Amino acid sequence: MECLVSMDHITKEFSGVPALRDISFEIQAGEIHALLGENGAGKSTLMKILSGAYTPTSGSIAINGDTYNHLTTKQSADAGISIIYQELSLVPQLSILENIFVGRLLTTKVFGVSVLDYPAMRARSRELLEMVGLNRSPNTVVRALSISEKQLVEIAKSLAFGARVIVMDEPTSSLVEEEVDRLFTIVGRLRDNGTAVVFISHKLNEVMALADRVTILKDGAAVGTLPIGECTIDLLVQLMVGRELKSKYLSNHADMRGSAEPVLEVSNLTRSDGKVRDISFTLYAGEILGVSGLVGAGRTELMAAIYGAAPKRSGVITLKGRTLKIRRPYDAIKVGIAMVTEDRKGTGFFHNFSVSQNIAIGQDVKSSFWGGLGGLINPRNQQHRAQEQVLDLSIKCRDIHQRIIELSGGNQQKVLLGRQLTAGCEVIIFDEPTKGIDVGTKSAIYTLMRDLADAGVGVLVVSSELPEIMAISDRIMVFSEGRIATVMPVVEATEEKLVRAAALGSAWDKGTQQSEEQP
Amino acid sequence: MSETTSVWQRSNRDKFTILWGRYSTVAILVLMIAVFSLVEPIFMSGRNMLQIVDQGSVTILLACGEFFAILLAGIDLSVGSVMALSGVITAQLIGTGLPWPMAMLMGVLSGGLAGFLNGLLISATKLPPFIITLGTMAILRGTTWVLSNARAVPVSNAMYSRVISGRLFTVVPTSLILILILAGFLIFFTTRTKAGRNLYAMGGNPQAAWYAGINITRHTLLAFTISGICAALAGAVNIARLGSAEPNAGTGYETYAIAAVIIGGTSFFGGEGVIWKVLVGGLIIATINNGLNMVGVSAYYQQIAMGALIILAVTLDRFFGPRSGR
Repeated sequence: MECLVSMDHITKEFSGVPALRDISFEIQAGEIHALLGENGAGKSTLMKILSGAYTPTSGSIAINGDTYNHLTTKQSADAGISIIYQELSLVPQLSILENIFVGRLLTTKVFGVSVLDYPAMRARSRELLEMVGLNRSPNTVVRALSISEKQLVEIAKSLAFGARVIVMDEPTSSLVEEEVDRLFTIVGRLRDNGTAVVFISHKLNEVMALADRVTILKDGAAVGTLPIGECTIDLLVQLMVGRELKSKYLSNHADMRGSAEPVLEVSNLTRSDGKVRDISFTLYAGEILGVSGLVGAGRTELMAAIYGAAPKRSGVITLKGRTLKIRRPYDAIKVGIAMVTEDRKGTGFFHNFSVSQNIAIGQDVKSSFWGGLGGLINPRNQQHRAQEQVLDLSIKCRDIHQRIIELSGGNQQKVLLGRQLTAGCEVIIFDEPTKGIDVGTKSAIYTLMRDLADAGVGVLVVSSELPEIMAISDRIMVFSEGRIATVMPVVEATEEKLVRAAALGSAWDKGTQQSEEQP
Repeated sequence: MSETTSVWQRSNRDKFTILWGRYSTVAILVLMIAVFSLVEPIFMSGRNMLQIVDQGSVTILLACGEFFAILLAGIDLSVGSVMALSGVITAQLIGTGLPWPMAMLMGVLSGGLAGFLNGLLISATKLPPFIITLGTMAILRGTTWVLSNARAVPVSNAMYSRVISGRLFTVVPTSLILILILAGFLIFFTTRTKAGRNLYAMGGNPQAAWYAGINITRHTLLAFTISGICAALAGAVNIARLGSAEPNAGTGYETYAIAAVIIGGTSFFGGEGVIWKVLVGGLIIATINNGLNMVGVSAYYQQIAMGALIILAVTLDRFFGPRSGR
């Protein structure tokens, strides 16, 4: 087989911290090569190096036999590498045709002047759309297409530029089943025409069904490359996770069911947009319930629905036996449900506010009336409260009047925690609380969560990092495709079980039974 | 938003940045007064100073309302039209024999209602305030013409004009008292009420404000209602001064109001600014007009001077202000 791309001993460091260590990766013509690994294993970094967006710290890349030491994005594209990211890069206002040819419009000479050659582009677009199985006029505006159709346009665009290697980053994460089938048919056809496809996915059954070879990354290193014939789901899970980790936090853990009373009960909750369906679970006072699963599986979406930030179609939420009506975050805050959102900058802090003001707004809104409109501010009291939090949480800032944007990410997060602590709550939701935060602050946040739980608060923690969720939770709830796949006490949980449940969803139980029967 | 950081412990560069950030507007005003006084000594007289305030009162009142629209990273283009509409309504009510304080109150309420309508349309359509208020600017102007048959409505109660455009003890203009009362109220509102502070939060990060439990719709309604009320107060002062309600009054005044807010250091991106600086911004515009008049510069050049000042003030803010990244 012809070797299209050969990445040799690639190492990549970000300001001294290794993200990739000595990875060698090969792509052959006419193969579907799956790239597997947990969040943060290095898949995206590796592909960004292939696209020329990152320059490796050491190692070399050969494409079609030409070796590059400093591969640029243009060289990569010219050599036929095309990457289709999860958040597609089409221009929604332009037509399919314009999107396909954007940046490289075809021209023709009319009386010596270059003008756009629409007939040629239209003919070529039709050809390409037929190739990817998209039955749409090239003049259709991209905004009008579904996500799966947009993906096909991206593929057509790659083909228009003569792509020989197409990298698809989690292409199926937002597709329904029929769309996945259609995509797989097209991908299969591309392979038969000699194009190589690199397929990044978390869904192991898809990988098993589609790939010819699998490369597994773990913690920035390559675990190995296997032909699909030698793989089983069990083996893949084991290779992806296979890490020695039992945490010191574990000793604190207890199963609270039975001993404690329920704080939050959610039954049959379905979101209006269907992103989470038929969710029922109970959160007990004093426990930390970890919420695991893939990004987009419905974890954040459920939290938004509970917090009133997203509309619900049906379902009942009760807090300490009282049935709640939560239509907006204000309603949730009023009854004592707090949330620290995933996107600090977007939905968390106010960049135009000082540390003190960012902390104060939590309690001020909670103690206000009429949707936050009513009530007076007591600046002295406000500053006093802020000062307290700065000391308690050891927030590093010049003084409480410093603007929050001047603080580090970890300290910004602490300010947001301080906001919730001064406001007080019965249930607190943390969505990826340690994303982009240094190790020291991380453990401070873990301690804080445990303190809250010990004080009788119900704590929900969404996290994509398995070691983190195993370290801090009392119980773990795993999401898969908008539903709860399983809930288990942490003492029964292993990373293998979590990964398997997240990847296989409701088929999880069957999966374990089979694998237990096999030996 | 006041800060009590001790300035003097910092480097000279930082000191300058911080002081400039806080007092640049005042510095510009003082500088302008100094320059005009050198050229024309009468300019400095207390009499002329009060004259400047009186002349600038309409702009200042409009600017106080416009501030809230811009604080939400929006804009209110309809203030000139609201001013004319409420003026006509007030004059007509006075004409029906209603006691003038009642008529004035009704006029102010009509302005508040017009602002409420702006807020309602903005919340309901989720369109940018620029578009909505561009539309209501025309709608309300047309309404004014319809109500008045496009003719000036005389203010038939001499007492009204005497009080509102008059001077207390023949010295202090009523308009100045009105401005001071309004400003006092608005300063309290922006610094000591939750609603006021929430507007800053919304202006800085509407998403985060929603997640923090702030009711975006109600606060938008509030901000634009305040803008309408302030515009109506400007209208009340204007008809008292002219003795009649002109249906074309206030045409183009939104630019003066916006200019005063911006020169007063309010961020066009929302979430930054204080009322007292807006007052100074309004005074700066009034000072340019008065001063250039006094030194004999034609009105044509006054426009050029104001335009240049807007660009200068915002440029300086860009390089030395809190967002300059220094």
